[in-house]
Amino acid sequence: MKVNPPRFAIWLLSMRLGDEWREFVVGDLEEEFATRSGDSRLAARGWFWWQTLRCLLAPPAVQPDTRQLKPTRGDSTMRTLIADVRYALRVLSRTPSFTVAVIGVMALGIGANTAIFGIVNAVLLRPLPFEEPERLMRIFTRTPGGRAFELSPGKFYDWQRDAQSFEGMAMYRFRQFALTGTGTARAIKAGAVGAGFFEVVRARPALGRVFRPEEDSPGGKYAVILSERFWKTELGGAPGVIGRTLKLDDEAYTIVGVMPAHASVASWAVMACDVWVPMALTDEQRSVRGNHNQQGVARLKPNVDLARAQSEMDAVSAQLAREFPKTDGRWGAVVIPMQEQIVGDRRTMLFMLLGAVTLVLLIACANVGNLLFTRALSRRREIAIRSALGAGRGRVIQQLLVEALLLAVAGGAFGLLLAYGTLTSASTLLAGEVPRAEEISIDARVLLFVSGVSILTGMLAGTLPALRAGRSDLGGLSGALKEGGRSDGAIGVGTRRLLIVCEVALSLMLLMGAGVMVQSLLALRHGDAGFDPNNVLTLDVTLVGPRYPMPAQRSSFFDAALQRIRALPGVEAAGTIDDLPMVDGSSQTLHLEGYPPQRDPMAVQVRRINPGYLRAMGIPVLRGRDIVESDAEVLLVSRDAAKLYWGPDDPIGRRAALPYSPTVLRQVVGIVGDVKQRNLTEASTPTVYFYTREASGRATFVIRTSLPPATLVQPAVAAIRAIDPQQPVGDIRTMMQVLDAKLTSQRFSALLLGVFAGVALLLAAVGIYSVLSYIVRGRSREIGIRTALGARTADVLRLVIVEGMSPTLVGIAAGTIAALASARVMETFVFGVSSSDPLTLAAVAATLVLVAVMASLVPAYRAVRLDPVTVLRAD
Amino acid sequence: MWFKTKAAVLGDFEQLVLLGVLRLELDDAAYGAAIRQEIHARSGRDVSINAVYTTLDRLESKGLLKSWVGDPTPQRGGRRRKFYALRPAGVAALRQAYRAITAMADGLQARLATK
Repeated sequence: MKVNPPRFAIWLLSMRLGDEWREFVVGDLEEEFATRSGDSRLAARGWFWWQTLRCLLAPPAVQPDTRQLKPTRGDSTMRTLIADVRYALRVLSRTPSFTVAVIGVMALGIGANTAIFGIVNAVLLRPLPFEEPERLMRIFTRTPGGRAFELSPGKFYDWQRDAQSFEGMAMYRFRQFALTGTGTARAIKAGAVGAGFFEVVRARPALGRVFRPEEDSPGGKYAVILSERFWKTELGGAPGVIGRTLKLDDEAYTIVGVMPAHASVASWAVMACDVWVPMALTDEQRSVRGNHNQQGVARLKPNVDLARAQSEMDAVSAQLAREFPKTDGRWGAVVIPMQEQIVGDRRTMLFMLLGAVTLVLLIACANVGNLLFTRALSRRREIAIRSALGAGRGRVIQQLLVEALLLAVAGGAFGLLLAYGTLTSASTLLAGEVPRAEEISIDARVLLFVSGVSILTGMLAGTLPALRAGRSDLGGLSGALKEGGRSDGAIGVGTRRLLIVCEVALSLMLLMGAGVMVQSLLALRHGDAGFDPNNVLTLDVTLVGPRYPMPAQRSSFFDAALQRIRALPGVEAAGTIDDLPMVDGSSQTLHLEGYPPQRDPMAVQVRRINPGYLRAMGIPVLRGRDIVESDAEVLLVSRDAAKLYWGPDDPIGRRAALPYSPTVLRQVVGIVGDVKQRNLTEASTPTVYFYTREASGRATFVIRTSLPPATLVQPAVAAIRAIDPQQPVGDIRTMMQVLDAKLTSQRFSALLLGVFAGVALLLAAVGIYSVLSYIVRGRSREIGIRTALGARTADVLRLVIVEGMSPTLVGIAAGTIAALASARVMETFVFGVSSSDPLTLAAVAATLVLVAVMASLVPAYRAVRLDPVTVLRAD
Repeated sequence: MWFKTKAAVLGDFEQLVLLGVLRLELDDAAYGAAIRQEIHARSGRDVSINAVYTTLDRLESKGLLKSWVGDPTPQRGGRRRKFYALRPAGVAALRQAYRAITAMADGLQARLATK
């Protein structure tokens, strides 16, 4: 049996080889292939491809013939290329509207892709700005429930002693200080860091030094390191700051160092702090094992990989669990690479958006391809003349490709501008929500991406039209000249219909994604979170510690502030809580009085509140009563928490203790509604609220207003300052802002998907319109004859609209299948709505049908208006 | 003599190609694929067909080779072969190269012989 060599390779060769070599080289290869395929077909094919590749890279050169005069072989590649570029520029400038349309479509596609790539680049691809960031790990405990959780000092110091996989390990936590001694008191964020922290991170000070080990103790703790930002804004960047003192919470700290600007990384909260102080735990605090509220960071030894470190930590914590069964039993350890911890679950979202934006680019390519195709056909006359004058097929194709690439490069340049604008606003919009958003910018990698995408777009959109137009079967010279520019006939209608099918299918996928994303956002924002976020103002207050040493003083401060706030006009209710819903808070286990200790105690969210909080937040009391000022040490439990701990029994009147004060038994006085404490996308979390007279130094005021909450900011701050003018007030936000902050990434993806879908819809409409116009023009003679034979307006209309609708419907069917197939991907991002929601699908399909009809109207109108006499006489 | 035109100096791949043509031309079989296979079989160099043709063309333009085109054959998909044969100048150049290498290698055979 005769075996044929790879046809594609032969095609490539005949494209690449000059006329003078094609026949002999391909013939030789085919001949040798036939011999070789007798031994092994596979090896012969491999050999053929290998030869082809080498020929493609370096085709046989042609020597200038010195012996006899032959026709010249044309200009050098470079000269023809330059000539092609100049010719293309001339041709393109002659049809500005076409040029602008193509560049616009390309800029849209390339710009959107570049912007998303810029974000992916900053968030996922660029390494953290620390030395050897891949060795930097976050360490956590693993709760009996399997969740990564904060550390307790007792466990941490044992890990530090026992684990050998790490070069160093350090603890840190966050503190808030009142910066006093300079004008009005101001709240600043500080990182309290344990010994060795900066060595582990490898952050070196620009001035001074990092903390010494002995400073991480209660005796030596009055040292502070400044961030460059703080140093510049608060101290004017004075070079002699080392050794001076800073008043934090009325206590003097000696400045020992200043960190450089690049060490401040907004996406890792501890490095984004204003200042750093030593953690300075007392010996007693160091031995606490059961209270998990410290953060940990570690650096792997070189050549130790994550799996080995994790298995060592498993062994270490298993040993500790045997040693301290009460506090460490069933707890483990988790090692997570810093990059992964920072980027978290945004990775999938960004890749989803990247996928979506690629669809936009594909649609743009299809459109541009269609435009170029139409244009190439309308230039058949020019091409025929060029061929007749001796231009080879390769030259014609090269010319058309050069035009497509020029357009793509221009589109890429405008796309880059578009991306620049988008990225600038994206980095502000996303700051604080998408990690590392502050680093979003156009760097070398983004530039490389935009050039690559531009060239790819040009090739993708230009190849098919160039190949089709370069083909000589389009009627030849005489045919092309005869037809002239008058009528194109309907060439390549199949290809065009396919383009419509693709555009419609891709648009449907994008519209579907955007539709479910927007619905999910609405469901989250207006869904029932268990509280009423409308008309609620919140203010953070952290008391300046040394001024309120006694719990009673702190209580009276908060009581007095609440009293003044409640007296303000427009305030309906006011209370305090330690951590608002949607802000991380404490999670603990209860010990019930009169019940055997649970074998597997479940942790619940625990919040400290003041009377008035439930009313201010709109959380209903289901049974029992709300807390009042006269109560002491009482509990409220949410319905789920009641079920979780007391099962069928009635918890009201029973008593329980919290782990931080195991001796104090608190009575349950009421059951309240469940609230989504952690995240709007999760189910509500069982919660226990407690009220104690032993107030802590930090609380968030929650104020329900009858006026717009923003109008109460000034009076509320004034009410707090009236009690203590030196008291700083921290974050001031409405509850709606707190929710929106939690939904930024959802809003962002919904917005982007919406924009992409809009662009896709527009492009699809343009595509349908231009293809139909083309077909109507090509069939004008047929339509004219039909009209002359008595076809009515409705018949002609139907003819055109059916022509447009059939590929649209096929596209809708194909897109529906693709959308349903990709629904699994979207499932991760949507809440409260199915990602294959049939209603949305129907609405999206209807939109596309409507758009297709609209796009068909103008060509249909033109067809109806055709005058049979003119059309027929033109022949 | 000082005015004597010297034969062209050949590169080593050019020598291989010319030797290939010399071997095959008597059978009228000196065309690209055959030359390529001859070089591969004898010298072990698996060169690409484009390199062979580039060299053949260069040698032809230097006046060392002549070429003609044969008839289409079915096992080549109806394509024709391009045959080559040495011109006198090509023979001279090859002879000079051969003389140079044998003269230089004289007495060294024992050390150069393959083991």
